[in-house]
Amino acid sequence: MKALVVYPNKEALYAASTLGEYAALAVGDAELKAAEGAPVVYNVRGDPRDLGLRISAVLQLAGQYDVIIMPSLKETKTIGGYMSQKLNAPFITDVVSLRAEGGKLLVERYVFGNKATASLRANVPAVLTIAPGKFLGEPPKASTKVVELSPQSAGLFRIAGVEPKASGGVRIEEAEIIVSVGRGFKKKEDLAMAFDLAKALGGQVGCSRPIAADLKWLSEDHWVGLSGHKVRPKLYLAIGISGQPQHIAGILDSRIIAAINNDPNAPIFQYADYGVVEDLYKIVPILIRKAAELKK
Amino acid sequence: MKIAVLVKPALDTSQLRVKEGRVVIEETPLKINDIDRNAIEEAIKLKGNDKAYAISVLKWPPLQKRIQEAENLLREALAMGLDEAYLVADEGLIGSDQSATAKAIAAVINKVGADLVLAAEASIDNYTGQVPPRVAAELGWPLITYARELRVEGGKAIAKRDLEDSVETAEAQLPAVVSVTREINQPRIPTLLAIRAAMKKPVNKLTLADLGIKPDVKVELVGYKPVVIQRKRVIIKDGTPEEKADKLLQYLRQEGVI
Repeated sequence: MKALVVYPNKEALYAASTLGEYAALAVGDAELKAAEGAPVVYNVRGDPRDLGLRISAVLQLAGQYDVIIMPSLKETKTIGGYMSQKLNAPFITDVVSLRAEGGKLLVERYVFGNKATASLRANVPAVLTIAPGKFLGEPPKASTKVVELSPQSAGLFRIAGVEPKASGGVRIEEAEIIVSVGRGFKKKEDLAMAFDLAKALGGQVGCSRPIAADLKWLSEDHWVGLSGHKVRPKLYLAIGISGQPQHIAGILDSRIIAAINNDPNAPIFQYADYGVVEDLYKIVPILIRKAAELKK
Repeated sequence: MKIAVLVKPALDTSQLRVKEGRVVIEETPLKINDIDRNAIEEAIKLKGNDKAYAISVLKWPPLQKRIQEAENLLREALAMGLDEAYLVADEGLIGSDQSATAKAIAAVINKVGADLVLAAEASIDNYTGQVPPRVAAELGWPLITYARELRVEGGKAIAKRDLEDSVETAEAQLPAVVSVTREINQPRIPTLLAIRAAMKKPVNKLTLADLGIKPDVKVELVGYKPVVIQRKRVIIKDGTPEEKADKLLQYLRQEGVI
């Protein structure tokens, strides 16, 4: 099968290479660099934020490829849906496994709040986005042939401004230990305890939706869950988090989940390896002290 | 402004039925997709004196049982303040890929008319977020996804798009398709009076034949497998906070994670 990678990164290039021949589409210098090593790179000049450019380019190239592969991002889900409809093709997002069989694609993805896996057999052409962390091989390095392309943008909308998001400088999806906070914390200042504990354990601080989206006590890069970040640390320690389904869906890949909650009926305990029923205000200071001692 | 809102009768994943290692879709109840309520709320705010209506497509079997279930859910949307609902129910759409879904939705919009289509960024059951972009492509309209703020001015939709690392201000000429996030507003809870009034609002049922669409299956479902995660579920509830802390740290050290 022939695959075309859009928004190239290492995982998408690797996933494409497992299917056979592949190429990449790059808009802007950063993507051109990321696509290096792909046998063919289509170089599109223009604003990297312009979604319409990629849609037009893919529609122009689609006849030559069986499958379009992209990393799972909000922008790839946007253009993926749009181009799939134009191509009359299936669009399967957040793919966790992928192989070709008898001219069709066999793919798996999580569904139902990550409570089940759907196995699908899709006709080609098909458009896919791949879940992070599931295609971790090395794409073979070829000498790259660059093909210049200047499509007319499909123009979904006009960009009138861009502001970077406030950031706590965290890459929570890469953290090995996450101390995560929820509504059990009564005031913003109390989160200092979680930061102290994270520091003592050598981890990062995550949070549930209300802390980032409603109360805005932490920036959104801390937000763990289905609409925040999906994480897969070796230890996820949930403190004062009740365990709403959307939060749980974001932590399922954690190796060990521990939870502290004063409510013995909190749903989080159903999903935890170790649950402590205790007032976080009593136990967290003790944990900070003991964890610091362990490090010595 | 005439507004169409996409309302999905989604599987209630918090009540997912699993029997003998198999997901039983047929016995899992439906609910209005959570974020659709935000889209409905936004439509009610923006519609002015015009009409705002729901469009629903049934995706989950068994069809006959689900039609009544979906109609009840649509009453909730009507109680929030939508004026009318269109429910597309057809065996050809059950388990179809979203290309046919988008065609059906676009056909209703072409029939009823709209200046703006509002939808959720994604639905809780499949979470692919592809239907709003597909509908825009099918209609040939501008598309703005992931709007956390929206206003309409001078025939344009102006939105803040909530992306991973940035917020983009996007402008598009109406008619347009806009998908919204949960952060855009706080959906209202209908009053008893509104719930009663909703019983009288029309729910129009349509089939693919009514819309002149032929079903076309490009993705075959091989099966659903429940994700079984064996958690140890050791609960530490006895002792002083000091003792509990010791126990927890001891377990975590045994696991080799600290």
